[in-house]
Amino acid sequence: MIWSRAKLSPEVRLLLDGERLIEVLPSAARARALSRARAALAAGVATRPIPSRAPSAVRWAAAAGLICAVTVAVGAAAYEVGLRARPTAPLVAQSPGGGLPASHGNARARPVFDLPATPVLGAKQTPSGAIGVRLELRLLEQARAAVAREDFVLAIQLLADHAHRFKRGRLAEEREALRVRALVGLGRRKDARRAAADFEASFPRSPLLSTVSQMLDSAP
Amino acid sequence: MSLDDACLGAFQQELDYVHRSFQRLGVMSFEVDDLTQDLFVALRRSWSEYDPTRPLRPYLFGFAFRIAAAHKRKRRREVAVGIGSEVDDMGPGPDEQLQSKQGRAMVLAALARIPLPRRAVLVMHELDDVPVAEVASVLSIPPFTVYSRLRKARRELQAGIRRLLKKAGGE
Repeated sequence: MIWSRAKLSPEVRLLLDGERLIEVLPSAARARALSRARAALAAGVATRPIPSRAPSAVRWAAAAGLICAVTVAVGAAAYEVGLRARPTAPLVAQSPGGGLPASHGNARARPVFDLPATPVLGAKQTPSGAIGVRLELRLLEQARAAVAREDFVLAIQLLADHAHRFKRGRLAEEREALRVRALVGLGRRKDARRAAADFEASFPRSPLLSTVSQMLDSAP
Repeated sequence: MSLDDACLGAFQQELDYVHRSFQRLGVMSFEVDDLTQDLFVALRRSWSEYDPTRPLRPYLFGFAFRIAAAHKRKRRREVAVGIGSEVDDMGPGPDEQLQSKQGRAMVLAALARIPLPRRAVLVMHELDDVPVAEVASVLSIPPFTVYSRLRKARRELQAGIRRLLKKAGGE
């Protein structure tokens, strides 16, 4: 122990000493965790045997086989599509906004106020993309709930957190609209007006523009 | 006392520690509840193998580390919830409570920049006072690796905190 702490400066040790103290959880969080644990016991989930895992060599072989099969299938499909598309669909005929699926555009335009509790993910989305969207949604839902509770300080923090992690996220438009609402709620009219102007500049065709404008009008 | 009761009792007793361990391991605050539940399920499944003569916290931390690592692999990127913003948002204040909170946030922020395997060793040894041999046993790594990770992690922590202090002092 002495050896291991030898190189930590006194101020870092002091900070570490402060972090040693384990804070007591709020009673609601504690009750929730225990209730979930009891429910798991009652459902038998916690005592269900863990499924035995195949040896790693078998798993690697299976994974390699699967990758080969998928590669062949994708290659064949691409070849087939290429053959069909070549005579009828020249590249120049693509729309100027090509590459962005229509569903993506819809997702951007969808106001956060109508978002479902759990995200609906398209089959074509990659797992990381889906997880990213889910994380975005969770953060924005928390921010929206904070706004609904009129806890605007927390809402601003959550929105800043979202902006930090997902600067150009799919829900950036909704985030900026919520920021205007939170700033209005805090009585920071000047900041709210600036945020609204930024919003208009960034999303000139947003369906949320009128909502943002109403938010400013409703400011005290 | 049945296995269920014993396991639930131990879980209840160390619930605060489990929560804090997940935070120290960089789990986002809104995900801690779900991972705590995962930990309970894993703990109950292995409870018959637990040796009650050994300390419980390192045993729990082993679960927390594996669950957090699997979770991190799943989402492929790690974010420490609110940690960065917490440090950024809190200006210096005379209140001791605020200072203590700020200090803790600073430690978490510095920890968040250390890769998970090294961070786990650092947290166990420096914060939970777990001896190196026990850390090696819980994380299933040789003691030499524990020492090596510890050395690097301490350097990273030191540098991280220095950077944060400098930033806080400059604002």
